[in-house]
Amino acid sequence: MKRLVESSGIEVAFREVDVVTTGTFGAMCSSGAIINVGHSDPPIKIDQAWINDVPICHPGAAVDLYIGATAMSERQPFEYGGGHVIEDLVSGKEVELRATAYGTDCYPRTQIRTNLTKDDLNQFYLLNFRNCYQRYNCAVNSRDETIYTYMGKLLPRLKNATYSGAGELNPLMNDPDYETIGIGTRIFLGGAQGYVIGEGTQHEPQNLNGTIMVRGDAKKMNPEFLRGATFTRYGTTLYVGLGIPIPILNEGLAKKTAIRDEEIFTNVVDYGVPRRNRPKLAKVSYKELKSGAITVGDKRIRVSSLSSLKTARKIAATLKVWIEQGEFFLTAPAERLPVDTVFKPMRQTEEVSFVANVMQKAVTCSETEAVKAVAERIVTRSVNHIVVVDGNGKLTGIVTSWDITRALAQGKTALADIVTRRVITAKLDEPLETASKRMAQHNISALPVIDNEKKVLGIVTAEDVSKLLGR
Amino acid sequence: MVRILLRFSEDIVEQPITSQIILELKVPINIITAHVNSKGGEVLAEVPDESLDKIVKAFRKRGAKVSIPKLIEVDTEKCVSCGACVTLCPVEAITIDEDASVVFNKEKCIGSTCSACVDACPSRAIKSVKQNNSELTANNTH
Repeated sequence: MKRLVESSGIEVAFREVDVVTTGTFGAMCSSGAIINVGHSDPPIKIDQAWINDVPICHPGAAVDLYIGATAMSERQPFEYGGGHVIEDLVSGKEVELRATAYGTDCYPRTQIRTNLTKDDLNQFYLLNFRNCYQRYNCAVNSRDETIYTYMGKLLPRLKNATYSGAGELNPLMNDPDYETIGIGTRIFLGGAQGYVIGEGTQHEPQNLNGTIMVRGDAKKMNPEFLRGATFTRYGTTLYVGLGIPIPILNEGLAKKTAIRDEEIFTNVVDYGVPRRNRPKLAKVSYKELKSGAITVGDKRIRVSSLSSLKTARKIAATLKVWIEQGEFFLTAPAERLPVDTVFKPMRQTEEVSFVANVMQKAVTCSETEAVKAVAERIVTRSVNHIVVVDGNGKLTGIVTSWDITRALAQGKTALADIVTRRVITAKLDEPLETASKRMAQHNISALPVIDNEKKVLGIVTAEDVSKLLGR
Repeated sequence: MVRILLRFSEDIVEQPITSQIILELKVPINIITAHVNSKGGEVLAEVPDESLDKIVKAFRKRGAKVSIPKLIEVDTEKCVSCGACVTLCPVEAITIDEDASVVFNKEKCIGSTCSACVDACPSRAIKSVKQNNSELTANNTH
């Protein structure tokens, strides 16, 4: 369609093309499967349940369970989770169900352990409450350390970038006004036929961040299009393959489905800032993203995808074959996806603390000072940490009362010999929790607070944190 | 050029073995990665094919362990060609080809001395291969 519109124009394309197929294959954390395991004898009203050691929700009556993609194995957390359980079941593998209950007059049993395959389940439906983001952020990390996020491994100081989404092949991007997509739209889901059952959670159409909620019979699915996955130090998830056929009902849809990667933009977002509103550093198109490198300011950053374009193309092609062979029939939605939903942030009724709330003025010194002078300052100002700065107030190191004590014991007089130069720092707008964690991680008791130019703004100490908690 | 992985134990790590061999044999040895401290060292180096045998012998004579590094193994069944590994490779050994498949260039890969891609793979399809010293014998260096 895209090439036809370019070469022959919209009118011709509208006459020639009946349906445009789309596809996407990426990590979709808000996914899972509802299963009914049947009744045991004597029967059990399941309270807590695990499959292959992954905790499973029990949202219904006695034996209905929901396998959440991000729930993690208690024995191998971060390596095996709900997404993998779903993949294993879809592949026909046997899984172990373990459950406990409090026991009632009608459901006396208090525990059970059994092995199951998908054929033993009454229902096994994929039930995903947020899939198929219309587009997604491109992620970078401004911190001095590598971070592991749901956007993958992000190297320090903007050394790499990651993105997700199929761009011009994304289902919702090809019908951005949802003329043909809504409740009851038949789709490709995990290698089988499924349905859109409504807008997804966090659906935000006005920002081109639409999402859908979907359902499909997982017994018929194919593990090629449904894969358990692991994001190191973030957790487990499920890669979901999803494709939607867009019927070309009017010239408008011919035009919309001709959308190209260079027309789809997204923000480069700094995931190094652990806040809800992460800084947006630049705008880039999916064409740039797919080219392998983006430019932020004057910096060229290599970028890679977390979703598979190869599989997305395969999904669109498979859906096309299904339609051509008369195996798949398009449906008109019973109700179209809403176009005016707003995605609100959480209402927070309890105050949260940030580094700025507990930061104190830092006691500083310059590197040329004598150990003795710094020792005196520690006593007169009654602090344990002296931040070493240069002439412009920029951080160059830190010395602690312990460093000074040891220096005096060893007869060292030059401060330069005892300064710690690799300083672990905090940012002003950082949540106190992450700063405290960093102190614990490095076994230290204070963090100088600096701005982006390394200028020292203050210091946050473990004492201040405990005072705040004890208040 | 051939890649060899050199291991130096604590006893010999202080000696300038690589420089001695370069001078003695008058051969170029290109160091690709090196992790060395007082407890020992691991160096990935490139040497000319025709000098491989004598270089290996020279290192072994001085007590270093030499092996042909097997670097990473990719399980192509597990790999979904997402591309999460691509930008993490410091030597650009991982690329995406025309049909959007992720391709590993094992010639370029620096392997276990790096392994930056391993924990970035959501499918856990990449494994860093533990080096096996017995793979390279004095008579069988290819």
